Amino acid sequence: MELGEFKAAVDRWLDQQAGALAPEFEGIGTLDQQMAQLRKVMRLSYEAGFMRMGWPERVGGLGGSNLLRAYLGEVLTARDIVEPGMYSMPEVLAPTMIDYAPPGLAAEMVPRLLSGEETWCQGFSEPGTGSNLGSLACRALPADDGWTVQGQKVWTSLAQYAARCVLLTRTGTPESTHRGITAFFVDMGSPGITIRPIESMHGVPEFNEVFFDDVFVPADRVLGEVNQGWSIAMDLLPYERSTALWHRAAYLRRRLERLVAEAPDGALDPAAVGEAAQQLLAFRARSRATQRRLAAGETLGPETSVDKVLLATAEQAVFDLVAEGLGTEVAMGDDPVSVRWRAEFLYSRAASIYGGSAEIQRNIIARRLLALGDDR
Amino acid sequence: MDAAERELFVGAVRRATDSAAGAVLDEALTDLGWADALESDRAEAVGVLFEAQGAAGVTSAALDLVMATALGMPDPGAAALVLPPLRRRDAPGRLGSGRCTVRGVGTAALSRRGRAVVVASTTHGAAEAVAIERGALEVAPVRGLDPDLGLVVVTGDFVAGDRESLGPVDWDLAVAAGQLAVAHELVGTARAALELARLHALERIQFGRPIAAFQAVRHHLAEALVSLEAASALATAAWEEPNPGTAALAKGLAGRSARTVVRHAQQVLAGIGFTLEHPLHRYVRRTMLLDQLLGAGAVLTRQSGADLLATGALPATLPL
Repeated sequence: MELGEFKAAVDRWLDQQAGALAPEFEGIGTLDQQMAQLRKVMRLSYEAGFMRMGWPERVGGLGGSNLLRAYLGEVLTARDIVEPGMYSMPEVLAPTMIDYAPPGLAAEMVPRLLSGEETWCQGFSEPGTGSNLGSLACRALPADDGWTVQGQKVWTSLAQYAARCVLLTRTGTPESTHRGITAFFVDMGSPGITIRPIESMHGVPEFNEVFFDDVFVPADRVLGEVNQGWSIAMDLLPYERSTALWHRAAYLRRRLERLVAEAPDGALDPAAVGEAAQQLLAFRARSRATQRRLAAGETLGPETSVDKVLLATAEQAVFDLVAEGLGTEVAMGDDPVSVRWRAEFLYSRAASIYGGSAEIQRNIIARRLLALGDDR
Repeated sequence: MDAAERELFVGAVRRATDSAAGAVLDEALTDLGWADALESDRAEAVGVLFEAQGAAGVTSAALDLVMATALGMPDPGAAALVLPPLRRRDAPGRLGSGRCTVRGVGTAALSRRGRAVVVASTTHGAAEAVAIERGALEVAPVRGLDPDLGLVVVTGDFVAGDRESLGPVDWDLAVAAGQLAVAHELVGTARAALELARLHALERIQFGRPIAAFQAVRHHLAEALVSLEAASALATAAWEEPNPGTAALAKGLAGRSARTVVRHAQQVLAGIGFTLEHPLHRYVRRTMLLDQLLGAGAVLTRQSGADLLATGALPATLPL
């Protein structure tokens, strides 16, 4: 299906199904409510065929360009039907499976993810492993017909709802750094897994600590090759900085326009509004160019670090304005609309931290895009 | 343009801007068919030339041509265009009581052309183009911060009926096209300044290693690249929706970004970048001037914000 035709069909469907797709709560609701909403929207979009567009047929998709996925997420976000961060998680998880899982496993599992039947999580960060992913310590040891995993992950989004986890583990010696990492596809119902949600400052406990205590993982759940997990992570990180960011740009645009509508006259400094508008549109323009390169078959690489820095800059500029224009609501409001603004303002502080901090992105830009050599 | 044609076009334009400036560059652009490219693929033609022109630090009559074409002038290459005074973007002429008064600036092209086009606002808020011999205007050369840019100050006061009217025009659309051209030139200027700083960081040894090894230096340069790429992305995308609001956002961001880039570049180049022995100063000067041409970055940014507050919507959708 061509993009133009797809856009028209999606828009028509969203108009017709507006009632069925709308959230049943005001503001951000609880995390349980948000998850139920996300699953409902994914199921309806999958049944209507739209959620299958842009994914390959061998994993239950209907084929077509990545631009179709980008558009679907854009409109679902721009119409305030889904929260972009949670909605976009399959943009990294599904490609991992498509590129690295045994074909039968990918064909069996990916439809469950896309249809909202299952939620998955990504086990990368650890207490001692934030920016320095090569230092991870959660161990997987060979066992009969598989592996046993021992260790801890942290900042694992939606682990408490997840049926599966794409998990990075240490299979080499502790000193093997990036050469001794293996990726697994782990059932979250396996004995030995304990999940503890983290109370975070924006009030939505979407992040978790996940403890693995001698968790058995069958041999056929290795993703890619043993000790090649680093290259999987490196291949996939650019995807975390492509379609998901396009969805986020649509969300920021809606929130900026909403802010301008809600803020009292004179509460916003025109110069600051102009700067935020420039940053937001520049981020959108950059992200669109990335989408088009992806659609043209280009492989994404370190240049997507620029996209990530632009997202963080735009998101913080928009929500800094929120803190000015709706300062009283953010500070004191306990109604659903104010609670949402407050949660979003607080979450925006993390935009320069999650998914590779602003400093790490600048290190990548310096080394890979500016060819400045090693930093030592 | 397909990829192969584009590559040839970029190569030809860069050879021209690297080897010639001013009238000679205008001739080279005529020979390589730049005016035809402007008609068939305006975004590509303007983007490629103005970034190359900015990077090489040279001038041409192309800005006059871009704006005269957007105004729908019958022979856009024949006349130079009078531009608004620095920092402003309203029409440089004013028609009223039978007279036309002119206050503006001109590019180096104005010194080379026998005729100029002045766009003047009328008492009803419309805009009209007037053709005039250069001799009827007072044209004073400017040295200022960037003498190489060849800007002139233009003033005039004449009986309107004595001059040839070229009819009503859409000045705002011409300004939008000119702003996008200058935005690309700022991007090219900034890219060249960043490259000078990058090379210096790799060559300059302190504490036994290239200063490029120090994270503080690396982050200056990375920040400069991010800023530049943001301006480049918006200037390029804006051609798909070249309305005055989008062009103002793109030009405002380009001016602010280019100033950020030259600030970082100057910090990294340190002592040598402060001398006339090193070329950085040309890019610093050019950036300051271009930031003010057809609306200053800070002024445009504030106006874009005021427009958003008034209308409630961003001027561009940038659809997939």
